[in-house]
Amino acid sequence: MAAGIVSPLGLGLEETLRSLQMARDCITPVTTFSVEQCRCKTAGRVPDEFLRGVRARGRRTQRLHRTAHMMIAVLEEALESNREFKPELTVIGTTSGGMSYGESYYRSLHRHDTARHSPGWLANYPPQKPVIDAQEAFGISAPCQVIANACASGSNAIGHAFTCIQSGRYQRVLTGGYDAISELVFVGFDSLQASTSEKCRPFDRDRTGMVLGEGAAVLLLENLDAARSRGANILGEIIGYGISTDNHHLTQPDPSGVGARRAMEGALQSAGIRAQEVDYINAHGTATPFNDAAEGKAIGELFGRVPLSSTKGMMGHTLGAAGAIEAVVCLLALEHQFLPANINFRNGEEDIDLNIVANETRAAPLRTALSNSFGFGGTNASILVRKVDV
Amino acid sequence: MSLRIAGMEWVTPLGSGLDAVWQRLLRGEEAAPQTIAGPFGQRNYSAFRVPDDALAGLPAHPRLRRASAISRFAVAAGLAALADAGLTIDGRMAERIALIFAVANGGVTYTKRFYHDIVETGADSASPLLFPETVFNAPASHLAAILGVTGASYTLVGDGAVGVLAIQMADDLLRSDTLDYCLIVGAEEADWVLCDAYRKWRLVRSEPPIEPFRKSARGTVLSEGAGAILLGREGSIAIDQIQPGSNFCVRKAATECATKVLSELAKPETGVIISSANGTFVDAAERAAVLQAAPKAMIYSPKPALGESVGASGIWQVITGALVLRTQQLPPLLHSASEAGLRIPIGAPVKVRAEDAIILDCGLNQQIAGLRLTVKN
Repeated sequence: MAAGIVSPLGLGLEETLRSLQMARDCITPVTTFSVEQCRCKTAGRVPDEFLRGVRARGRRTQRLHRTAHMMIAVLEEALESNREFKPELTVIGTTSGGMSYGESYYRSLHRHDTARHSPGWLANYPPQKPVIDAQEAFGISAPCQVIANACASGSNAIGHAFTCIQSGRYQRVLTGGYDAISELVFVGFDSLQASTSEKCRPFDRDRTGMVLGEGAAVLLLENLDAARSRGANILGEIIGYGISTDNHHLTQPDPSGVGARRAMEGALQSAGIRAQEVDYINAHGTATPFNDAAEGKAIGELFGRVPLSSTKGMMGHTLGAAGAIEAVVCLLALEHQFLPANINFRNGEEDIDLNIVANETRAAPLRTALSNSFGFGGTNASILVRKVDV
Repeated sequence: MSLRIAGMEWVTPLGSGLDAVWQRLLRGEEAAPQTIAGPFGQRNYSAFRVPDDALAGLPAHPRLRRASAISRFAVAAGLAALADAGLTIDGRMAERIALIFAVANGGVTYTKRFYHDIVETGADSASPLLFPETVFNAPASHLAAILGVTGASYTLVGDGAVGVLAIQMADDLLRSDTLDYCLIVGAEEADWVLCDAYRKWRLVRSEPPIEPFRKSARGTVLSEGAGAILLGREGSIAIDQIQPGSNFCVRKAATECATKVLSELAKPETGVIISSANGTFVDAAERAAVLQAAPKAMIYSPKPALGESVGASGIWQVITGALVLRTQQLPPLLHSASEAGLRIPIGAPVKVRAEDAIILDCGLNQQIAGLRLTVKN
């Protein structure tokens, strides 16, 4: 498995690793649209300079949506030492694709503009467009299954890609996720009072909500034996995937944590390992009161005091990209043997005994990590990754 | 492959009910267009809408109280497809059936309303009741909750080919013995903003008819509804081969992609192709593909009668293909051109002797895929 990543933490694996190890807070004020009437005024934004190299590819690329730029950047990194990787299938996650272009179109209608740019906005608005554009940039034309399972999209994509490889039907699958911040989605979470006016504090007793983020990450998945035989630099191995649907409410998890628990149990079962064999959990940990209570309860019951962190405090919740970005975070943690920090943490819940990696990165021997993603609509996904012995 | 159609249903602008809609297609009927008035004094468009009585059997469920039209269509089609198969979801089955939704534009009406409030009066007037319904997987969530499905649920987004890609996903999932069924639902709702967007993209015309395979592509007319097929391991219609196809980045490349997909699916004896011809550039791409890869096959597209419903259309095509195989009849292709050089049923339904039918889906935005249905005894 190889990977590429861009997020507020950095462009590329190396810069992301440095940010993770320094436990950097990359949340900044939102400046791309008005947040004057919003409760939350911050987000984790990918700095424009990260994407300057992609935009320099030419006018055609410049016209593409920001999510396509992010996807081109991460695919370039992943393919850098894997030029021969030709996927038979692409499974990718997103929640809103080129939403901000849809917003531009609607605002132009509202203003009765001549909408000179409308065709370009509309052509680049569809959610599947960024991955198709990124594939085209590298001469890839694999069929694309684009999963829009809300915040679980990225993990669902990786999980389904894993099952496709595991079945033996496919040898190489491109997977991951992408999303960019848009006004509609930002205001949407704000209207639900799911986002916070202060710091994002996952699993903190006094947490008040999430902040949004953006980014993209891709993984080049292939059969382990095939990767070894071609001498690929293998970042890690996906060993399990669990998926469940929680029917409690469209936007809130069952407070018992049953949906989350079923996804995590499914991942363990699919990997054929016990909960005690998991060394680190990268939690969904949005810092909303409902999510963290339900997820924390499920983790506590199933895993006891396994070290746990949510990295969303550092970069925000990247929605459809979150599962992919956090899978890469797990891979970096396994490769470099550290526990990523759960920043902005002050006090834990009194009734749940969780082993939060509070505020600072910790060195630790790690072999297996679990990454959780839970979304609106009750979609829950958990993936297990393992360090590959050389 | 051992993928079989165990049940199916559609909710369309020609109503609902598998046989009722089929009989109307055979009679050469087309849906009645409705005018959608433009906001801000802008131009009007025509679209094919689902009539109210098509949803008469929809259960009263708290999840549907505020749900968008797309969710209602999807739930109605999904429940009826299960009923067609005689399948009930009990405790064990709740984990052994997967839901796979195929959508292109999703809950666009609520999305527009939600964003309109932001534009018109600012973020503090944005409704927390609307936002959750704008999420692509909201219809899947509602259907899962109504059925009590607790296992896998996926919503795929894409263009007109997304239905075939959803079936491909079902094929991948059903290779595992942990699942017995996949319920595929393609759904879409019509809205003025979509009509305008597709027109600015030079794909939609203001009024019907949809004229497939004309020399000059005058555009399509959008519609709404849902199609659902229950896939399992038993049933008299099999999905024999899926060709998930590829992507085209410029429209003129669509012909090559469509030809490749069709060439891989067509057999010398292939009798019927259910095309996605809709009055746009798609028609020329599919025409060229058919002339090259399956010139003897009869061609039919349900889109002139039902409209272009993007996410739902692919599933409607599969249902159409299955009904052709089941009844050995092909409805007349409406408003088509005799000069197309294709074998087109014109004016009246034709009897066919077909053991297989190919579904060819050329999307409006870059994706092309197809599959082949066969009759199994």
